[in-house]
Amino acid sequence: MSDFKIALRERETVNVLELKGYLDAHTAPKLEEAFQNLLKNARFNIVVNCRDLSYISSAGLGVFMAFIEDVRKNKGDIKLTNMTPKVYNVFDLLGFPLLYEILPDEQEAVRKFSERMK
Amino acid sequence: MKVRRIFYLGGAFLLILLKFALDVIAKNVEFGGIGAVVFREVLVAGSFFLFYALLAPVVGRRDQSPVRKIGLVLILTTVIVLFSVGASALSLQGFDTKALQLSPLDYSTLFVASLMSLLLGAFAVLLYLALRSILLVSNRRGVKRNVFVFTVILLGAAGATVYLRPLDTGLVATILYWLAVLMAILNSFRLPWIIDLTKREKIYSLIYAFLLFVLFTGLNVLISNSETVNRSLLYYSFPLSQFVHIMVMFGNIYFGMAFVSTLFHLPTAEAFDRKRSEVTSLHTLSRLVTQVFDFNELVETVTTMTMDVCEAKSCWLEIIQEEAEGRGALPGALGHAVTIQIAGIKNITQEEIHSLLGPEEGGIRSLALSTVKPVLIDNLSDDERFVHLRKVKTGVASLVVVPLVSHGHPIGLLYATKELEYGFVKDDVDVISAFADQATIAIENSRLIKQSIERERLLREMMLAREMQKKLLPQQLPRFNTVEIDALSTPAFEVGGDYYDFMQLDAENLGIIVGDVSGKGVSAAFYMSEVKGVFLALSPMYRSPREFIVRANEALGTSIDKHSFVSLIYAVLDVQTGALRLARAGHCPMLMITSAGVDYIRPNGIGVGLTERPLFSEVIEERAIQLGNGDVCILYTDGLTEARNAAEEEYGYERLLAVAQESKQQSASAIKEKIIRNVQEFVGGQEANHDDLTLVVVKWRGNGHLPGSDIL
Repeated sequence: MSDFKIALRERETVNVLELKGYLDAHTAPKLEEAFQNLLKNARFNIVVNCRDLSYISSAGLGVFMAFIEDVRKNKGDIKLTNMTPKVYNVFDLLGFPLLYEILPDEQEAVRKFSERMK
Repeated sequence: MKVRRIFYLGGAFLLILLKFALDVIAKNVEFGGIGAVVFREVLVAGSFFLFYALLAPVVGRRDQSPVRKIGLVLILTTVIVLFSVGASALSLQGFDTKALQLSPLDYSTLFVASLMSLLLGAFAVLLYLALRSILLVSNRRGVKRNVFVFTVILLGAAGATVYLRPLDTGLVATILYWLAVLMAILNSFRLPWIIDLTKREKIYSLIYAFLLFVLFTGLNVLISNSETVNRSLLYYSFPLSQFVHIMVMFGNIYFGMAFVSTLFHLPTAEAFDRKRSEVTSLHTLSRLVTQVFDFNELVETVTTMTMDVCEAKSCWLEIIQEEAEGRGALPGALGHAVTIQIAGIKNITQEEIHSLLGPEEGGIRSLALSTVKPVLIDNLSDDERFVHLRKVKTGVASLVVVPLVSHGHPIGLLYATKELEYGFVKDDVDVISAFADQATIAIENSRLIKQSIERERLLREMMLAREMQKKLLPQQLPRFNTVEIDALSTPAFEVGGDYYDFMQLDAENLGIIVGDVSGKGVSAAFYMSEVKGVFLALSPMYRSPREFIVRANEALGTSIDKHSFVSLIYAVLDVQTGALRLARAGHCPMLMITSAGVDYIRPNGIGVGLTERPLFSEVIEERAIQLGNGDVCILYTDGLTEARNAAEEEYGYERLLAVAQESKQQSASAIKEKIIRNVQEFVGGQEANHDDLTLVVVKWRGNGHLPGSDIL
């Protein structure tokens, strides 16, 4: 029914996941797999670009919850960027902005990572 | 039945005695005239007819094998020939032959002639019955007609001699005799029973037919040329003599033909046997497939039949079982693990199979699996494809593997081996393929049955779970003079993660909770019941909604796994005063309709299970609201606002706001109905809900202590 795609890019020391389409209980395992691969390769600086993410369900939100602890333990972070207002509202309702860094632009997230590295 | 037989036997005996007495009298007293002759013939015909009637039901049975009947004929014929030879060796005075009449010169001649005629006559009748029943096995119309014509001519030829003197020759009688012989020849081409015989039976039949042909030739010579036999018959009764002559001729021709025909069928007997056992086996198998659900029995049958039909040395079946793609498994993340189960092993051990087939890579099995076609190895020690297997001593020289293919995928392999090189011909491969097809159907059947039983079971469990979960939701809505309440909750699947409940905390305070567990289905349902437990336990202890939510986070945080969470919205309403206190843990905001307008109330908060205490309790905010008369609070889950239509658009907050605005004058139930109808219209003909959906409408009817409504 709903379509969901992930593209992985590397920018400097940061790994950017671009999400596209509907992230729900059916498609959440794809994102889980992508996170697992990053963690397996010790990539802990992660930016999730949500520009083309049209919908996220509670199961989709759960994926971020599942990995944030491990990532932060390894001195990394998951930063979320470029959300549409609708998607931001879902994150916001749950109080995600208090737990995650949600930024308007990917560039800014990458910059924050590299600043911290210095 | 018995009485009738005794009647037949006694009658025949009586007629024979009478005839004998007449013959004795005629020897001494000359009495002639056509009347006396006809009377004697009537006696003979009568006695044999009774004899025929006695034996017809016994000999005429068609269910006996023709070979058995021929065997019996052989015994009888041997006896008769021996007797005839013995009789013709007797030195008797013989007959006086004056005026073409025969009269015995002494009593012993008369006696021997009578006895021999009776025996030959009885033999001829038996022969007639036996041949007729063999001919009529095929039950074809042409055959029936030919037998009937032959019988008519036979009786006609016999009857035509009544007026003749024993040594006469009559034109009509001779013509009818040759016509009868002609019909006998025609009937002798009817040998359909030979084809159906097994090879073994054919060999017997060949020997029997040969012996019978020889014996009948001898008998033919005897009754025509031995003076004693020939004249005895003619003396006793010319029609009987004619009858016996024709029947012996018939027997001679028929068994001659039978011999030649069996001889021609013998070379193909083996092939015919094989074809027949193939057909029978396949028939048995296909019946088994549809009737028997015992999988092992079917596999056993398949390999046993393959062994038998191909005369293989060993045979076995391998079933490929793909590891179940568990629901928890990541799609596409795992390759299919495959296990091979060997079943129905005949005459070979598992170890021998392993050494015979060689390694997984480049072995016989992998070739059959990759090509999905039958693999025939004529000579294992000389096959280019399996050079590495040449040295393995297994005692197997040739081998056939046929894959069991279902929807283009191999689900098993059927093997047969022989000790000889080039042991399997194309026919064998075809037969094994046919067996493999049947086995495929059987395996598929058994899998489908297993699946449908499993599905049936799960369905029942889910229906049970659904009923259980329904009981976790309020069975009755609380009733107050001051408050109207209505609510609705529908899961997207059988069970869901939505929760709403009410709790009378004390005389004044009513707790109203709506919650949504992340995810859907069974896991969500488990957490939902846990939320209920927490609500029941904690809400009476912590009257402040904020306090309750903080405590609920502590209680649930430890038991919820890290990628699940619960969003809650909790209101405590004073049913005396209309004072409402509200806290929200990541849940959808409350929609409020007041005389001033419609708006969402969204106190700060984080979802339960998302984080540990310090931050959580800092963030959770509690709002106090004074409800005025006619004010409405609407609590719901995201299944409502995120309901999608065919164009994948969401229902959204704006539409909910608009419909609430329109219906603010109506009762709580009417508002609920209106919102649900509006959502359904928006979603259109879409099947089920995408998500669990819950809606609670609370309308304040009390005469508020404070005028109007106020949001503090």
